[in-house]
Amino acid sequence: MRTSFQDELNLLETTLHEEGALVLRALRGALNALEQRDHELADEVIAFDDDVDQRYISIEEGIQSLLARQTPVASDLRLVLAILHVNLHLERMADYCVTIAKLSKLVPDVEPSPRFIEGFEEMGSRCEEMIRIALDAFANRNLEAAESLVALDELIDRANRRVVERILELGEAERMREYGLRMVLVSRALERIGDHAVDIGEQVAYLLTAEFREFTDASHPQPA
Amino acid sequence: MMTDDVTIPIDVGPVEIAQERGTPASAQREVVFDIRDLEASYGTTTAVSGVNLEIYHNLITAMIGPSGCGKSTFIRCLNRMNDLIPTAKIDGEVLFHGQDIYGDGVDPVEVRRRIGMVFQRANPFPKSIYDNVAWGPRVLGMKRDLDERVERALTQAALWNEVKDRMKKSALSLSGGQQQRLCIARAIAIEPEVLLLDEPASALDPIATAAIEELMHDLKRDYTLVIVTHNMQQAARVADMTAFFSLEVGDGKRTGVLVEYDSTDKLFTNPGDKRTEDYVTGRFG
Repeated sequence: MRTSFQDELNLLETTLHEEGALVLRALRGALNALEQRDHELADEVIAFDDDVDQRYISIEEGIQSLLARQTPVASDLRLVLAILHVNLHLERMADYCVTIAKLSKLVPDVEPSPRFIEGFEEMGSRCEEMIRIALDAFANRNLEAAESLVALDELIDRANRRVVERILELGEAERMREYGLRMVLVSRALERIGDHAVDIGEQVAYLLTAEFREFTDASHPQPA
Repeated sequence: MMTDDVTIPIDVGPVEIAQERGTPASAQREVVFDIRDLEASYGTTTAVSGVNLEIYHNLITAMIGPSGCGKSTFIRCLNRMNDLIPTAKIDGEVLFHGQDIYGDGVDPVEVRRRIGMVFQRANPFPKSIYDNVAWGPRVLGMKRDLDERVERALTQAALWNEVKDRMKKSALSLSGGQQQRLCIARAIAIEPEVLLLDEPASALDPIATAAIEELMHDLKRDYTLVIVTHNMQQAARVADMTAFFSLEVGDGKRTGVLVEYDSTDKLFTNPGDKRTEDYVTGRFG
C-alpha cells in the first residue's frame, strides 16, 4: 500500500472541495453585492479571490509533484487528471464571481424593475445548486447526479435569455443602456458558471467510466 | 528467414487473426502463440494454472505480477525451458503458429532456436565478444557469412558501435548493460522469430535500462517480444499488450493465475479487474 501517495491524493481532493466551498461563498457574496449595491462587499469578494487562487496553485503544485514522483495509474491517474481539470473550472468560476463584483460597482444609480434583480437571483441560486451538485457528485462518485447537471444548466440558459429580453425593455435612457450593458455581462458570467459546473460533471463521468465525453455538444446541438 | 541447413519440424500454420477473448480492435494481428489452459507444476506444487492467452506478431507483450505469481514459469513454458527441470510438468497447449510445441516429435532444440530467450542476469560465455555471438550460428551450422551475421546481430542489439574495435576482447570486459545487449545479440544471431526476455533489465542501472527498452522498441519491427518484468512502469513504457498474473490461495496452496490480459493502455488507465487495479495502483499487499 502506497500510504503517503494515497495521503497526498486525499489531501488534493480535500483542498479541491475547500476551493469549491470558497467559490460558493464568492458567488453568494457577488450576488448580494449586486442586489444590495454593497460596494464594500464587492471589494471583499474581489479580495477573497486570492484565497481561491491559493488553493488553485496548491493543487497545481501538488499534482505536478505527484505526477513527477508517483506515476499514478488506473483510477488514481483518472482522479489526478479529474482534479487537475476541476481545479481549473473552479478557479474560472471564482474569476466570474470577481467579474460580477466589479460590475456591481460600476452600475449607474438607476432603479430598474425588481423583476430584473429577481432574474439574477434565480440564475445565481441555480448556479449555487449546480456547484453543490457537481462537488457532491465528485465527492460521492455519483454519475447520475453528474449527468443531471445538463438539465439544470438548461434552466440557467433560459433564465439568461429572459434577462436579455428584459434588458431590451429597459428603454433608451443613456444610464439605463449603460446599466443594461453591464447586466448582460453579469448574466453571461452566471451562465458561464453553470457551464463550468457541467464541465465538472463531465470530469466525474470520466473518473468513473474512463471515457472522455461531453454531456452536450454546443457545436452540434440536439434538436429540442 | 535464413535457415541454412537446419531442418524445421514445425510447420508455420495459416495466419490467424485474433478476434476473441476481448482483444482490442487495434491488436487484430497475427497470432504467434495461442496458449490454452496452460498449467505448469514443479512436483506437487502448481506454479501457474488456467492460462489462456494469445500473443501477437511484432508486438511487445509484458507479463507483470507479484513475486511467485508464475509469470517467469509461464514465459519459460513458451520455449520449453522448463523441460530442463526434472520435476516440471506442463499441461494444456502452447500453440506456436497453430502447432503445439509440446506435441509428439517436436524437437525442443528447434523450438528454442525459433523462440530465443534472454535472462535476468547477463550470462555471456567467458569467450570473446565475437565468439559469444558466433557460437549459436556455428552450432546450428549457419556458417555462411558468419562475420556479417555477427555484425548484423550486434547492430540490431545496438552494441556494434561500442564493440566493433574490440571483437576479440573477452565478453566479460563489457559493462552489465553491454553484456545484456550482447546476450540479446547472441539470441538474435540465430534469427529466431520470438524473443523471450525474463527480467532483462532488473540488474541494470537506469541508463542501461533505458538502452534496453529503446532496443526492445527497435527489435519489435523484426521480432515478437515477450517480457517478464517486476517493474510495472517498464511494462507501461514498452509493452503493447500486458498480462497481469496474481496468486490465488486455496486449500492452503498458492497458485499463479492470469487475472487480466489487455492492451497496456487499457490495463494502466482502466483495468477491468479489481485485483489488477489494486496491483497497478500499488494497493497490493
